[in-house]
Amino acid sequence: MKKLKTDKVAYVYILPITICSLAFIYYCIFFTVYSSFTDWNGMSSQMNFIGLNNYTKLFQDKTFYIALKNNVIFFFGTVFVQAVLGFFLAVILKEKLPGTNVFKTIYFMPIAMATSVITGIFRILLNPTTGAINTFFRAIGLKALALSWLGNPRLSLFSVICVNIFQWMGFSMIIYYAALMALPEDVYESAKMEGAGFWRVLVSITFPMVKNTTSLLIVLGIVGSLKTFDIVKLLTNGGPGRSSTVLNTYLYEKAFTNFAAGEAASIGICILALAMLMSLIQLKIGKDK
Amino acid sequence: MHGRKIAVRKIFFYMVLVSCSIIWVAPILIAFDKSFMINGLKNYWFVLTYEKIKYYQVIANSMIVAVSCAFIVGLVTTLGGYAFSKMHFRGNNILYLMILSCLAVPVAAVTMPLFVTIKRMHLIDTRLGLIIPLVAFNAPMMLMMVKNYFDSIPNELLESAKIDGASSLSVYRHIMMPLSGPILANVLVLTFIYTWNDYLIPLLVVRTNPRYTVTLAAQYFMSTTFQSPTDVARIYAAMLLLTVPSIIVYLFSQKYLQAGITAGAVKG
Repeated sequence: MKKLKTDKVAYVYILPITICSLAFIYYCIFFTVYSSFTDWNGMSSQMNFIGLNNYTKLFQDKTFYIALKNNVIFFFGTVFVQAVLGFFLAVILKEKLPGTNVFKTIYFMPIAMATSVITGIFRILLNPTTGAINTFFRAIGLKALALSWLGNPRLSLFSVICVNIFQWMGFSMIIYYAALMALPEDVYESAKMEGAGFWRVLVSITFPMVKNTTSLLIVLGIVGSLKTFDIVKLLTNGGPGRSSTVLNTYLYEKAFTNFAAGEAASIGICILALAMLMSLIQLKIGKDK
Repeated sequence: MHGRKIAVRKIFFYMVLVSCSIIWVAPILIAFDKSFMINGLKNYWFVLTYEKIKYYQVIANSMIVAVSCAFIVGLVTTLGGYAFSKMHFRGNNILYLMILSCLAVPVAAVTMPLFVTIKRMHLIDTRLGLIIPLVAFNAPMMLMMVKNYFDSIPNELLESAKIDGASSLSVYRHIMMPLSGPILANVLVLTFIYTWNDYLIPLLVVRTNPRYTVTLAAQYFMSTTFQSPTDVARIYAAMLLLTVPSIIVYLFSQKYLQAGITAGAVKG
């Protein structure tokens, strides 16, 4: 029986991160929980306890459900396309054709660029009259596709999703790429020996073997969708109307436009609850690997 | 027959790679091309000498904030990671799990309390007011990466040093740090890029133009000007000038950035 000695000095080492990360974030969370039960306006020091009023109001608020629905659509739209495209490109990159690194650099680059810069560029590209995208559609004779991408309530969320795919596809790609590189080569060899074609190997061997990666990307996609703020705020500001409002932009609006910090906090708690749940699932998937 | 099949497949692969590249490069190439519209290089000159938002100041602000964050995160996560990975103490697991669960906390969900906290610390419109929350929200993921990496360093290496009488600090400095080169590079690059590109925290903390970061400057240029052809050219020039530093960092460190992103996502 070996008894482990306690290193008291350990507390000194974890002190910095405990103060600057743990204490700070948990303080913000508890502050959010507390203020969600009050009528706080965010400016004054006056906080009156009003019980669950913010929550009952929130659960009757149509905009909240629109925002929630938009988050779900955003999640499905981005994660599915990013995963399929990312997986396929990762498979091709793994073949190590000449020039592979250049392509990888290109696909991954938007992740290194600020969302505000990317949206700045896309707002001009998507301009209905002068934007390059509609100019292109008109030039190839597809006038019907020259639409008001950000101004039409039926398209605004779709456009946000497309720009998000542009920025984050490289993420799925690189994760799949790492997973593919870790796969044992002999499985492929035996499949090839048995005469399985490229598509056959892809569908019945490669894809099932990276199943964990796919579920990881789905969970990360839900968390990412719950974190979505910049791209919507900068591209459409949630509009037109409520067509692209997501939970975070609605929260921001409640807090800084309507001065309803208590209500904003109740939205924050809903987001946090969902995010925590997802990260627990993520840790579980990580452990299973 | 077989060789021909492989050749056909290669052509198909290249077609996919090239057509995707066109989609991914086009926005930037168009921006570059259009940024010279009407006034040519003068558009860049306009941005560089713009009175209200001084380009060099914006870059300096973002650079100071991102570099400080990277170094602070690098320091606190290697210190913490060392303790969490190699030391036995009460509360080790629970504290680590508590920090890990911060991973999924969206900054946006706690905006108002965050803003008020910074305000109460009298740090609104200061660089420190940016650095503190950026470090707080970036450190948990980086800690996870560092701890996972330290877990793979064999304990025997530390034991022998301890028998020789080395203090924990000298183990940290002379064994852990020299071995943590690759993971430290990932942490530094990833933190730099994430903090450089952050928008929400500067949006909450920064009030005046001289404190603007790159992301706020980008928003300023795209929202204050109308989309006349001259404006468009200038906005494009501004966007490209604002993104050049992070692209340079990316091109020189993409190996670490990609490795960091993978390590941060895959391991739990």
